[in-house]
Amino acid sequence: MTIDSTLQALANGTVLGLLYTAVALGLSLTLGVLGVVNMAHSALLIASSLLTWQFVNVAGVHPLLALLVIVPVFFVVGALIEHVLLRPVRRQPESTGLLLLFGLLIMVESLALAVFTTDPRTLRLGEFGQPVTLGPVTVTLNRLSAAALGAIGTVALYLFLQRTMVGRATRAMADSRDAAAVMGIDTGRLSTLVFGIGVALAALAGVALAMSFTFSPQEHVRWLAWAFLIVVIGGLGSVPATLVAGLLVGIVESFAGFLLPFQYIHLVIYAILAIALVARGGGLMAAASRRL
Amino acid sequence: MPDEGPALRMEDVVAGYYSNDLVLDGVSIDAKPERVTAVLGPNGSGKSTALRILAGFLRPRSGRVLLRDRDITETPAHRRLSLGLGFLPQGRSAFPSLTVEENLLVGAWHVRSDRRRVRALLDAAFDRYQTLWPLRGRRAGTLSGGQQRLLEIARLLVTEPQVLLIDEPSAGLSPALADVAYGEIERLRSEGRTILLVDQNVRAAIDLADDVYVLAYGRNESSGPREEYADLDRLVREWLRAR
Repeated sequence: MTIDSTLQALANGTVLGLLYTAVALGLSLTLGVLGVVNMAHSALLIASSLLTWQFVNVAGVHPLLALLVIVPVFFVVGALIEHVLLRPVRRQPESTGLLLLFGLLIMVESLALAVFTTDPRTLRLGEFGQPVTLGPVTVTLNRLSAAALGAIGTVALYLFLQRTMVGRATRAMADSRDAAAVMGIDTGRLSTLVFGIGVALAALAGVALAMSFTFSPQEHVRWLAWAFLIVVIGGLGSVPATLVAGLLVGIVESFAGFLLPFQYIHLVIYAILAIALVARGGGLMAAASRRL
Repeated sequence: MPDEGPALRMEDVVAGYYSNDLVLDGVSIDAKPERVTAVLGPNGSGKSTALRILAGFLRPRSGRVLLRDRDITETPAHRRLSLGLGFLPQGRSAFPSLTVEENLLVGAWHVRSDRRRVRALLDAAFDRYQTLWPLRGRRAGTLSGGQQRLLEIARLLVTEPQVLLIDEPSAGLSPALADVAYGEIERLRSEGRTILLVDQNVRAAIDLADDVYVLAYGRNESSGPREEYADLDRLVREWLRAR
C-alpha cells in the first residue's frame, strides 16, 4: 500500500466506523441501562432508512431535513413501544420482553416489505453525492455527512449521560433501579425516555445508512448482527467503548478491503470478535455489567 | 416526649411476595416523631419486608401505611421521598459507576431544577462528611465498605427526609465502622428526625432505640419502650421459644 492509499483506507474506515458506531449506540444504551435486548433495533433502523428514501426520492426533501422529522417521530415510537409493550412485562422473565420485541421485528419487517417490496433502494443524492477531496483523500459528501451524524449522535449521547441530571439519573438507574427510585427518580418514566432515545438513535443511524448504502427491508438482520458485534467488542452501554469498537471494525474492514479478497473481510472482523470474547470472557453477560 | 401521634404508621398490614406466601400477617408499627424505633426479630420474621412496604417497594394485600396521618399505601416508592420519607436500604446502595459527587447530585434529584439549592445541599453534605470531599471524583464502586456507607448516609441526607427508614446499618461493616454508622443515626435523631430502624445487631439497636417492636413469624410479638428490652438474654430465649 502506498501512503496515499493508506490514508484513503483510513478515511474510508473512519467514515464507516462512525456509521457503525451510530448503528450500535441505541442497542448499547437500551441493553446497558434497561437490560433489554432490542431485537427490533435494526428493523426500526431500516424502517428509518426507508422513510428517508420516501422523503428524498418521492417528496424531494434533503436527507438532512428528513432527519429532523424522522428522529423525533422515532423517539415517540420508541417511547410508545416501552410504555405499551415492555412496561407491562417488566417483572416477567427477560425472555418475555425478548419475544415481544422479536414479534415487533417481524411486524416492522412485514410492514416494510408490504409497503416498499424487496427492491433494493438507493437515495437520489444529486449534488449531495459529490466527492470532497482533501489532499490525497476523497470522500463523498453524503458519506462524510453520514459520518458526521454518527459523530454528533455519539457526542450528544455522551454529554447527555455525563453532564445532565437526567443522564446521571439514567446511569444511576443502570446501576440499581431500586436505589434510583429511593432517590425519588421515576424509573418508569426514565425507562420510557431511555428506550425512546435508543430508538431515536436507531433512526439517526437509519438516515446515515440510507445516505451511504443501498438497502432493502429484509437486510436489517445483517445490521443487527453488526450492531451486536460492535456492542460485544466495545462494551455495553459505554459510549466511548462503542465508538472505539465501531472505529476499529470500520478501519479493519476498510484495510482488509484494500489488502485481502472480499470474502476474507468478514473472517477478519469475526476474528476480532473472537479475540475480544476470549480476552474479556463471559460474552454478552459480562458486557452487560460494564459501565456507561 | 409529648404524647404525639406517630410520624409513620403501619396498620394491620398483610403482605407477601407471591400469591401463596404470607410474610406479614397483620403487622402494625408506629414510629413516633423525633424518636428511633427499632424493629427486631429472628431471621424470616418479616422485618425487611415491613421496611419494603413502608418504602413503597411492595404493596400490602391489606392494611394501610400512614405518613403523618396521610394514607400513602398506594404511593409509589419514588413519590414517597417528596413526602419526606427517606430509605437507606440494606447492603450497598451507592451507585458504583458514578463518582462520589455524582452520587450526591442524584440525591438532589428532587430539587434538580434549582441549581443553587443543589449546590447548597452538596456543600452541606461535604461540610458534614469532610472525609468525602477528597474522594469526590472517585467512582463509588472503588471506595471501601465504610466509605460507601458514609456516602449512602450523606446522600440520604441530601434527599432532605424527615422520616428515615434504615435497614441493617452495620451490615458488612467492621465493628469500628459500624460504630460510626450508629453514631450518625444518633446524630440524626438529635437533629429531630424520626427513624425507623431494622437491625440484626440487637444490642446496638436497643442501645439506640427509644421504642422497640419485636416481630416473629410475620406477626407482632411484642412492643414497648427500650427499658423493657434491657434483658437481651431473655429476648433471645423468647425468640428461640418462638421457633
